[in-house]
Amino acid sequence: MAKLDGKRILACCANGAGSSLMMENAIKKVMKKYDIKPAELRHCPVSEGKSSARNYDVVFCAKPFAKTFEGCEQNGTVLLPLKNVMSDKEIEAALKEANLLD
Amino acid sequence: MASVLQTIVEKKHYRFIDGEGVTWQEAVRLSAESLVADGSVDEDYYKQIVACIEKYGPYVVFDHNVAMPHTTENAEGAHKTGIGFMVSEKLIDFGVDEDGEEKKANLFFTLSAASSEEHMDNIQQLSSIFMNDPLLDALAAARTPEDILEAEKNYPCEED
Repeated sequence: MAKLDGKRILACCANGAGSSLMMENAIKKVMKKYDIKPAELRHCPVSEGKSSARNYDVVFCAKPFAKTFEGCEQNGTVLLPLKNVMSDKEIEAALKEANLLD
Repeated sequence: MASVLQTIVEKKHYRFIDGEGVTWQEAVRLSAESLVADGSVDEDYYKQIVACIEKYGPYVVFDHNVAMPHTTENAEGAHKTGIGFMVSEKLIDFGVDEDGEEKKANLFFTLSAASSEEHMDNIQQLSSIFMNDPLLDALAAARTPEDILEAEKNYPCEED
């Protein structure tokens, strides 16, 4: 079983309509490549993600929003800020570095 | 189905500017003008985008000098889903991001999102376009709507 199977993944950006959607698409690509079946993968605006982030196992956000999520890691959530939100390569590398890919 | 670039040309959602001395705020306004022209967005819609960039920094400017100014889905003043495309001959300065890196743009894809499904499809296609460097170069060199279609023909995006 892949490490991320059954995990909950969230992608956040300012509005929850543009970059977070791009992130979600790019994350999907990586999930497909590694045959990972997360329990949940969704996107939302930072305003919502701020309070709900701790309910997720992995939270992706665009770099400028990383500060907003400080603290969620205390609950075991892995926060992965991205420079390029549509880069599946960067997502893959971030997951590898966090030791979340097999 | 028409690609986003074909739709941009069909709906005349494009604009070509010189860009000399144009601020990023002004550039965002200009990029939304073609959307204002057919009632896709209200004239003041761009102000919400500007406010968002002022608040969070130029995170809507991606690699390769591509900007995707946008607000939320079903934002006030956004009546139809669409993309306001703009090419600026000169790079528009967006200031520095959180890492102190300078952000500049000469390609604008300004979004209006009223219908979720259509918007989702737009975003998916834009992701592919933004990862297609030769296409972005050709689009940045475009000066007419025909150039946009020509660019897409020469550098098609791979289907997922």
